[in-house]
Amino acid sequence: MVSEKSHLGDQQEPGHEDPNADARPLSMPTRRGPRSLPPIPSASRTGFAEFSMRERMREKLQAARSKAESALLQEIPTPRPRRLRSPSEKELETEFGTEPGGKIQTTQQEDDSQSYSRVKFRDSVRKIKSKTPDEEELLDDKDAVDFLLGLDRGAEDIVAVRPADYESVHIRLQKEKELLFIPSRRTVPTYKKLPENVQPRFLEDEGLYIGARLEVPRTNQNIMENRLLMQEPGRRWFGDDGRILALPNPIKPFPSRPLVLSQEQDIKAELETLYKKAVKYVHRSQHMIGSGDPPGNFQLDIDISGLIFTHHPCFSREHVLAAKLAQLYDQYLARRQRNKAKFLTDKLQALRNAVQMSLNPAKTPKSLDTTRRAINEYKSEIRQTRKLRDIEQEKDRTLLKTIIKVWKEMKSLREFQRFTNTPLKLVLRKEKVDQKADEEAYEAEVQAEISELLEEHREEYEQRMDEYRSAHQQWKAWKKAQRTKKKKKKQGVEEHPDDEMEEPYPGEDPVKPVPPEPTNQAVIEQEVRERAAQSRRRPGEPMLVPELSLAGSVTPNDQCPRVEVLRREDVKRRSVYLKVLFNDKEVSRTNSRPLGADFRVHFGQIFNLQIVNWPESLTLQVYETVGHSGTTLLAEVFLPIPETTVVTGRAPLEEVEFSSNQHVTLDHEGVGSGVPFSFEADGSNQLTLMTSGKVSNSVSWAIGENGIPLIPPLSQQNIGFRSALKRADAISSIGTSGLTDMKKLAKWAAESKLDPNDPNNAPLMQLILVATSGESYVPDFFRLEQLQQEFNFVSDEELNRSKRFRLLRLRSQEVPEFRNYKQIPVYDREIMEKVFQDYEKRLRDRNVIETKDHIDTHRAIVAKYLQQVRESVINRFLIAKHHFLLADLIVEEEVPNISSEGSGILGLRLFKLAEQKRPLRPRRKGRKKVTAQNLSDGDIKLLVNIIRAYDIPVRKPITSKFQQPPRSSRTFSEKQAASPTTHSPTHSADYPLSQVLVRPFVEVSFQRTICHTTTADGPNPSWNEELELPFRAPNGNYSTTSLQSVKDDVFINIFDEVLYDVLEDDRERASGIHTRIERHWLGCVKIPFSTIYFQAKIDGTFKIDTPPVLLGYSKEQSVVAERGFDPVRSLSEGSYITLFITMEPQLVPGESVREKTSDMLKKFDSQEDEKLLQATEKFQAECALKFPNRQCLTTVIDISGKTVFITRYLKPLNPPQELLNAYPNNPQATAELVARYVSLIPFLPDTVSFAGICDLWSTSDQFLDLLAGDEEEHAVLLCNYFLSLGKKAWLMMGNAIPEGPTAYVLTREQSHYLIWNPCSGHFYGQFDTFCPLKSVGCLIGPDNIWFNIQRHDSPLRINFDITKPKLWKSFFSRSLPYPGLSSVQPEELIYQRTDKAAAAELQDRIEKILKEKIMDWRPRHLTRWNRYCTSTLRHFLPLLERSQGEDVEDDHRAELLKQLGDYRFSGFPLHMPYSELKPLIEAVYSTGVHNIDVPNVEFALAVYIHPYPKNVLSVWIYVASLIRNR
Amino acid sequence: MGPWSAVLLYTQHGEQCLAHRAAWKLLSGVREGQTQVDTPQVGDMAYWSHPIDLHFATKGLQGWPRLHLQVWSQDSFGRCQLAGYGFCHVPSSPGTHQLDCPTWRPLGSWREQLARAFVGGGPQLLHGDAIYSGADRYRLHTAAGGTVHLELGLLLRHFDRYGVEC
Repeated sequence: MVSEKSHLGDQQEPGHEDPNADARPLSMPTRRGPRSLPPIPSASRTGFAEFSMRERMREKLQAARSKAESALLQEIPTPRPRRLRSPSEKELETEFGTEPGGKIQTTQQEDDSQSYSRVKFRDSVRKIKSKTPDEEELLDDKDAVDFLLGLDRGAEDIVAVRPADYESVHIRLQKEKELLFIPSRRTVPTYKKLPENVQPRFLEDEGLYIGARLEVPRTNQNIMENRLLMQEPGRRWFGDDGRILALPNPIKPFPSRPLVLSQEQDIKAELETLYKKAVKYVHRSQHMIGSGDPPGNFQLDIDISGLIFTHHPCFSREHVLAAKLAQLYDQYLARRQRNKAKFLTDKLQALRNAVQMSLNPAKTPKSLDTTRRAINEYKSEIRQTRKLRDIEQEKDRTLLKTIIKVWKEMKSLREFQRFTNTPLKLVLRKEKVDQKADEEAYEAEVQAEISELLEEHREEYEQRMDEYRSAHQQWKAWKKAQRTKKKKKKQGVEEHPDDEMEEPYPGEDPVKPVPPEPTNQAVIEQEVRERAAQSRRRPGEPMLVPELSLAGSVTPNDQCPRVEVLRREDVKRRSVYLKVLFNDKEVSRTNSRPLGADFRVHFGQIFNLQIVNWPESLTLQVYETVGHSGTTLLAEVFLPIPETTVVTGRAPLEEVEFSSNQHVTLDHEGVGSGVPFSFEADGSNQLTLMTSGKVSNSVSWAIGENGIPLIPPLSQQNIGFRSALKRADAISSIGTSGLTDMKKLAKWAAESKLDPNDPNNAPLMQLILVATSGESYVPDFFRLEQLQQEFNFVSDEELNRSKRFRLLRLRSQEVPEFRNYKQIPVYDREIMEKVFQDYEKRLRDRNVIETKDHIDTHRAIVAKYLQQVRESVINRFLIAKHHFLLADLIVEEEVPNISSEGSGILGLRLFKLAEQKRPLRPRRKGRKKVTAQNLSDGDIKLLVNIIRAYDIPVRKPITSKFQQPPRSSRTFSEKQAASPTTHSPTHSADYPLSQVLVRPFVEVSFQRTICHTTTADGPNPSWNEELELPFRAPNGNYSTTSLQSVKDDVFINIFDEVLYDVLEDDRERASGIHTRIERHWLGCVKIPFSTIYFQAKIDGTFKIDTPPVLLGYSKEQSVVAERGFDPVRSLSEGSYITLFITMEPQLVPGESVREKTSDMLKKFDSQEDEKLLQATEKFQAECALKFPNRQCLTTVIDISGKTVFITRYLKPLNPPQELLNAYPNNPQATAELVARYVSLIPFLPDTVSFAGICDLWSTSDQFLDLLAGDEEEHAVLLCNYFLSLGKKAWLMMGNAIPEGPTAYVLTREQSHYLIWNPCSGHFYGQFDTFCPLKSVGCLIGPDNIWFNIQRHDSPLRINFDITKPKLWKSFFSRSLPYPGLSSVQPEELIYQRTDKAAAAELQDRIEKILKEKIMDWRPRHLTRWNRYCTSTLRHFLPLLERSQGEDVEDDHRAELLKQLGDYRFSGFPLHMPYSELKPLIEAVYSTGVHNIDVPNVEFALAVYIHPYPKNVLSVWIYVASLIRNR
Repeated sequence: MGPWSAVLLYTQHGEQCLAHRAAWKLLSGVREGQTQVDTPQVGDMAYWSHPIDLHFATKGLQGWPRLHLQVWSQDSFGRCQLAGYGFCHVPSSPGTHQLDCPTWRPLGSWREQLARAFVGGGPQLLHGDAIYSGADRYRLHTAAGGTVHLELGLLLRHFDRYGVEC
């Protein structure tokens, strides 16, 4: 402020001299605007004029006012300043200010207060200024008057009416001009922008880079510069060149993000989109089962370019010759191209040189020996090469000769017939040779040859000479000896006449050797020259080069004889076309083209075959049409299926020859085909030519749009998921795929003349280079980032070595060994190495047939095969297994419902509470089923309820005297009648009264856990005991599949407990009892666990499998028979036991998985007719509607997973001849034998082999090859045998105990039906109560299926007359006749005789192993073997086999008794089909023979194997224990 | 998830290019799979609760696994159409992670959009590579397709042994 004031003062001074100090502040604000800015001259002038005028007026006024004020101020001095200072009274202040303008100014001046806002100050100033002087005067006067008079000013004092303030535009502009600075637009001179005396410097001119400046308009720049100059005088905004500093233009010349192109323009391939329609949701697993690649996009291109006949019936004689000539010429061309003779000559030359070189000793530093050897080798090679060369040269020469000869013949023929048919023309071009050089070369060659030959001969001569010499020597010696001998002879003729006789010289006298003849040089030379003359071109003779051309002219028709014209017309009438056959199906045919006069047909057609599968065959059929008469098949041409490398565009045309054996005789010049003809006039030298020709074609794989060859995968089976990456690998990128053989690839690359410099081929070339350079390491990957390795933590090997990772991976892959691993150790060190041993061993042995486990090789092979089938099937169903149904995942308890029966809580249960308790009438409670997922060891128990048994064999007294019962060889009919009298009561008299008949108890063993019941008495004991056995799943895995594959059996053994008194001393008898308990095995029932699992419970009476001979026991039939009260039971022989077996808790059998997979299986392709399949579905649905519980089978799945109609399995098949020969006159015995043979084939349930997947049916030959199968296979085979025996036989599907759903065979005898159990070989009458078959679902014959629609399904109560449609619903009926389905069975079964020696060997080995096992099982006792007994038993076993274990018991017992009279003997033979060793051991173990621990016990064990054809072995094991009687 | 009547989710896990295959090894688990169809009844959120259980071993950091997602929607006729592509990397630190994977789908021409609105279906990428690679992806006209929420629990082992701090 202060400075301003002074400043203003300075400026004001020149204009006015104003002595009044008061006036100064008034004028101050008006002057302030311009400040330091230069005043604009024009504006300021007007301002001054106005200003000065007002100023003067004001001054006057002021002067007057100041007088009055001074007086006033003195009167009221105090309130003034206070009022002024308070900001709240500004309004007042302004009002006051107007009234005494000068007064305020003065006070302000006095206070010198700077707190006043300038605005207000100015405002007041403005107000003062705006008032006209008159007004001011007037107001002032009035105020003054008012004030002075003390009048009430009232409203006027507070409110003042003022006109609107207005400032004229001019003034405002004027003032703005004063306030604002508007920079000029003019260019600023450079000197202003630069420091003083500095020349502008242009960096650009000095060569420094200055980017392009941003384009700014010049005026803008100027304004900016002006402004900067004014505002910031420091000039720091200006560069050396006087311009404003600026960065280079930041704007890129092009947009960094290109414009988004519209859709129509080309879009990069990877961004392409495809509009896909909304698709119906197809389940994924269906895709998985189908092939990974969409089918049908493979294409095979067959290009048929033409056909050339090398012989045709319409050939004239000349044509024949022409064809011959052309053929020879082709041959000649081929030979010339190879030029073998030249090559061999060169080789010979080189060899000779080599010999020369090595002969020169100076040059060979090697030892003499080696050089000689080398020379010898060279020489022999020279010899051979020469021979080869001579042959080649001779061939060349003869070929040339033949060509010329044929040509001459042709010429003569043309002359003879006076017309030409073919345009062929042979020109012999002579090539001049230098006679002299040629001769020299010839001579040199001959000489060299002679010398070599001479040398050879000399060597030979030497050798022979040596031989001769030695031979001569020998001869001489012999001669001498002879002479002396003769002398001796003469001397001692009398003494030794025998000597002479003995001494005739062995062999004839040696002939006196003839010395070999020395070689004759002349002869050799003669030979060489002769040969040379024959095979070589004579020196100087010009070289002949034949050239065949088609330059000749054909005689036109009108100049030919009639026959020829006829021929030509015939040719014209003929036309040819080709049919293309793919997999023996015609897919297309070419156009019919007329046969040309030159017997060439041009087709030039390309056939694109869209195929799905890998082609099996490609055939072209050549058809010929003569006129309109019809077509004949000339020949078939088989085309090779191209390799995967052959793709369209790269395949060369190939000529495939064909020939036909048709006989054609023509009545014109045509020579015909297959007809002899001759060139000679006299008909000699006959020729027979067959129609033949060549098809030139090319077959190749088409290339798809994206360059991928459309080749179906080589094997349809293992179509894996081929990812897009695999398609884009180095090899397929150049148009091939599926190449694995590097050598082939290299060869292919060389053949296809791949450009090695083409960058496209670089990866391939490298691959080939690596592969062919002999290095075995071929990287099977293409490294994207080569530096990857630098970043790796560990190497691949280390990663692969990690046991933990391996274990994890194997577990997730569900490799059988690791499938059920629960927890895997955290550290590698905790994983034992041996964990992998089994797995690795299995991998190693995959193809090695292990004979250790499976003693006999055939079984080993079969086991391997079965294993492989199993693996492949399991792999196939792995996906299905992972496909869960809703029920698998969500366990939903049924919502209790009032109305529902049983489960309703609110409904019936409520009433039940009120019901009376009736403890004596227990009710069955439904057990809760448990899904097998959350179970662990010990949760599951097997409950075996043993109720009672019937007809247990009873002990026989040991009798010293033995009576032979009358043995009657029973016939079948007798057995059918089952007369119980056959066993005569022989013993009852001998029973000591104190001795009970038998004290049986039952022992149940399962998974080596043994439980037994208490001992009961008598042959019909009743135990009624419940045994509880724990169940352990393999590897602790309780999943459904694992449970289904449990192979363990439940053995229910019945023993007799025998008490022996072992008191030594009779005196002690009074004081103590000392007895030993022995147990004798009586029989067993074997029930597979899988049956229990699937059946949930097993309830019924089973036949006890008793050994055919049970020493010391007999059936207690006498009593029964005498009483005669139980005819039904006595009908059947054997003992029975009533059982109830179940599991606690009840497991849900994996039925859902089975159904699911079988549904999946149905989707597998079937070869059956679609209509038939529909019919089967309908039939099954109808049957299921009526009788949901009855089994109805129409289609089954064969071993390759295809659905097959069931009747195709039934067909008469021949049983082994051996079995038929056994009882030629007894058909029933034969049938039994056949059934026995079938039952000897081991039983292996499908559920075990194909864990819970499905039932696969194998055909009978597969079954016999596998030697394992379940009920269906046995039944099918047995049924087929019966059919071939001429019986009426059906396959019977039904339920049986203990098997559950099963297959039996029904046969119709004269008057009754028989039911055969194919697995045991037993048969039952229809009304046999002990028949295990309890219900019949359907019957299957070779041509129909009958479903049981009778009320009952028990075989006892149904009628087997299938002709009655009310009882049996047949599949094929009048509406759907039997279409005559072909069988899937083979035509005939071929049986190999089983090797008897191998069987004997196996027998010995089994015996040895079993003996070892028994010793192992008795670790604490000494096991002694009674050899004498063993041999007796061994003799007995074949007898048992022959009689099939019947009726030999008594004989046998007698014999044993005779031999081992003083032994207490207990033992029995076991009979089993042979599959593996384990079941045998298991069976022997279960009898518990080894458990006897009497100190002086001895054992006997004999094994007998009876071989049946086809490696079916019947094994008999006789185990016995002997205790010597005191 | 948008106004779909039902939504499907296909997941595809990493290991698509060779680099992945070289360094990462799948020990157990399923590499790709599909969730069930969820019909959102309350709100727009579809819940799948689909477990992903994978176990990898690696010899390097390259090719860290990632999740490729494809969301499909099912209309009332049971037809499926693409609702979105998306991918996200598996986090590199152990623990539970909440991931949001935005998805998108190609829009196509106006004709296709119209067709999509009325008859269903829709443009799909011919080459899936563009989803996760492809610098040119901006050329595509796309529409946002909702966000997939993932909850991943991650366990890493022995990374510190090789100097990787997670």
